[in-house]
Amino acid sequence: MADLRQTYAEPAPEEPRADGQPGDRELVDRAQRGDGAAFAMLVERHQRQLYRLALRMTGSEADAQEVLQEAFLNAYQKLPLFRGEAQFSSWLYRIAANSALMRLRRKRRAPDSLGDQPLELAGPRFSAEGYLEPASNSDWSQRADEKMMSGELGAAINKAVEHLPDDYRTVFLLKDVDGLSNEDIAHALDLTVPAVKSRLHRARLALREKLGEFFDPPAK
Amino acid sequence: MTSPIQHCKDCVDLLGEYIEGTLPPERAKALEDHLSFCPPCITFVRTYRATRKLCRHALAAEMPQELMSSLSAFLGKHVPGFPCSKGDTAAAAPTAVADTARKKA
Repeated sequence: MADLRQTYAEPAPEEPRADGQPGDRELVDRAQRGDGAAFAMLVERHQRQLYRLALRMTGSEADAQEVLQEAFLNAYQKLPLFRGEAQFSSWLYRIAANSALMRLRRKRRAPDSLGDQPLELAGPRFSAEGYLEPASNSDWSQRADEKMMSGELGAAINKAVEHLPDDYRTVFLLKDVDGLSNEDIAHALDLTVPAVKSRLHRARLALREKLGEFFDPPAK
Repeated sequence: MTSPIQHCKDCVDLLGEYIEGTLPPERAKALEDHLSFCPPCITFVRTYRATRKLCRHALAAEMPQELMSSLSAFLGKHVPGFPCSKGDTAAAAPTAVADTARKKA
């Protein structure tokens, strides 16, 4: 489990906000001094992104809601440990991701859980010489836009993402859905930046394979 | 002088950084040189990009207003000075919130 205490030496400068609202650092300072309204502003500012992460990690609205409650309460209780060396948002993501992962692990230990099935990351197939095998490589990208709004495609994507190993899914969601930087993800998940890049790439390759199967189902 | 990329596998390995623009310029140039004579890799790049686009679109989710209210009510009970409306307090208990969401699902 990631340590929530920060060990960095230099505080990162805070960018001014375009909307003129106080920045996260100022709100954190105020919340640390007991200003509940400042903490409420932080919640209002970050709850949507955390909800999206929690929903996609747990696959359930009920679990996502509980993850959010737990994460924000945990953040509030650990606020004295936050010393502002990194972004508040990545610290918050770390708490929420930990909460979601713990919930998933608890569920998988449950007797009726199907989550113990091994999860494997598929990827493209190469010849012995390192060239792409034709089966890995039909060009379905031209059909992607017209299928964008398809509920069937949405369901296939959700299923494929759910089947990614937890650690890969978390990195993928933070990067490609929420748009965090590799550095922020590394901090949030206690990983190195190369590890973030590697997991992200492998998750994308696995999802690309699944989408290929959706657009061009393999012959039975 | 960077080494040329001859095999598709090497090209695929670099794609993540290439499409994010974080690949060093000389490696990006080597990759583009490979793409100039390798149609399978061009297709691969297209579908890799499309994967990100489709997933981002499919996985975007709006947080329901009801859940925002429940979260606010929950925190209002546990965080001193956290403002929340009176109407929200009924949904404050985590189990009640979860039950509501399960019924919806």
